[in-house]
Amino acid sequence: MSGTSAVIEFAGVNLSFSGKKVIDDLSLVINSGDKVVISGKSGCGKSSLLSLVLGFVKPDSGKVVFGGVAVDGKTAWNVRREIALIDQDVSLGSGSVESFLEFVSDLKVNAHLDFSPHKLMKFFHLQGILHKNLKDLSGGERQRLAIVVSVLLNRKVFFLDEVTSSLDANLKKKVADYFLKRDDWTCVIVSHDPVWLESPSVRVFDFEEKVWKH
Amino acid sequence: METLDIPLVNLAVAFLLLLIPVGISIKYGLKLIKPLFVSIVRMTIQLALIGVFLKYLFQWNNAFVNIGWLLVMIVVAVFSSVKSSSIKVSSIFLPAFISFSVATLTVVFFLNVFVVPVNSVFDARYLIVLGGMLLGNSLRGNIVGISTFYKRLKMDSNHYLYVLSLGATETEALMPYLRESVQLALKPTLASMATMGIVTLPGMMTGVILGGASPEVAIKYQIIIMIGIVTSTIASVVLTIVLTKRVCIDRYGVLRSDVFRKETPSRRKKL
Ligand SMILES: Nc1ncnc2c1ncn2[C@@H]1O[C@H](COP(=O)(O)OP(=O)(O)OP(=O)(O)O)[C@@H](O)[C@H]1O
Ligand SMILES: [Mg+2]
Repeated sequence: MSGTSAVIEFAGVNLSFSGKKVIDDLSLVINSGDKVVISGKSGCGKSSLLSLVLGFVKPDSGKVVFGGVAVDGKTAWNVRREIALIDQDVSLGSGSVESFLEFVSDLKVNAHLDFSPHKLMKFFHLQGILHKNLKDLSGGERQRLAIVVSVLLNRKVFFLDEVTSSLDANLKKKVADYFLKRDDWTCVIVSHDPVWLESPSVRVFDFEEKVWKH
Repeated sequence: METLDIPLVNLAVAFLLLLIPVGISIKYGLKLIKPLFVSIVRMTIQLALIGVFLKYLFQWNNAFVNIGWLLVMIVVAVFSSVKSSSIKVSSIFLPAFISFSVATLTVVFFLNVFVVPVNSVFDARYLIVLGGMLLGNSLRGNIVGISTFYKRLKMDSNHYLYVLSLGATETEALMPYLRESVQLALKPTLASMATMGIVTLPGMMTGVILGGASPEVAIKYQIIIMIGIVTSTIASVVLTIVLTKRVCIDRYGVLRSDVFRKETPSRRKKL
């Protein structure tokens, strides 16, 4: 895979919620293999940026392109099958961890996957949670479980919205290394965490000034 | 066997029973007298009017008029179940009306054609009484089912979107909410069926027995009515959700915010 082909492209995108402008004329290209950290103050529209690509919110004007195809009501469904999202609230639902994993692996889109979580769960220190209820997991456990699932989906593009916020320093490092070392993965990371921001392998996009920092 | 008619004077005497709740309300300061009075008056007037109306309906017994009245009952049932959900009535009235009509008419005609040996399937007695019975009893289920579906979907929207991001189809993502709503809608019906006869001696049976039929006949009617209620409740809840989701969920699979009623502060307080 070439390292320079555009995976995600925003062209003159405007977005507002009930009259309040959230994204103002944004143009941005993210290439295959990029590790991009989006930074900016709370409420400036970082999560909304990810939602635009997934077709969860629609721009007032401008174009959002994924893999060369404009995102619309028809294509969004395929776009979602190419991206592994971990949302900021880690909304895994309720019920046991086991039934959640079963639900994910039973989805038609995942039918061909080898969905065996045990090795990865061990790697992220998640042994023994299989029979727990999702609601009883700690914030950090939920984040790590979502990370495990995102990897098992076997996708090439990752949207990671504040995925290390509840982890200790060791685990933060472990998670960041895990994603950043994979050259073939494209990662869009929303975070304030130095573990991502100060890594030499990322490009940082300042979402308030709309400029690349380095 | 004829039912004993109740002379009007005796009916008036029945109202004397209300002195008991009135007395209790005064003694314990329950402030129940006014709502009690309003409800009693409304019930009496409505039943008196409907009594006269049904008398002529039964006398006339015209197929078109009977169907027409059944449709009016369906409209009212649709209104009351849609009104209590958080969705604007205007956006889902039509799909809900279609689904209620299909569910009710299918069950009523099935019963009238294959089960009850009536002369005409449009006979007022059976069409309207059975139809009203089905509508009245599936109403609560429909109210619970439809409002639960959209309420949960909205409350749970982050998780729903996460499931879409996993690559789920719309059906896969909505299925848990559909399942939950239908189960919740059916719970009271299933519970009352399971205790029927022992705990509950339902209105239908009381009516038929007082109407002069033997308990065996009454029980047969009760059985077909309960089967009809379960069938039409499940069918109308599922059909209403399937038909209304085309309006309430956009092509992206996202719940549209403009189909929800704007919540005024006073409404919220009431809930
Ligand atoms: N679905 C929505 N409906 C209405 N307003 C929304 C919606 N989603 C986001 N907003 C508003 O848009 C703005 C940007 O929200 P967003 O979640 O994208 O910010 P963020 O940069 O991710 O913030 P944070 O760092 O706190 O997560 C906020 O003011 C938020 O209230
Ligand atoms: Mg955010």
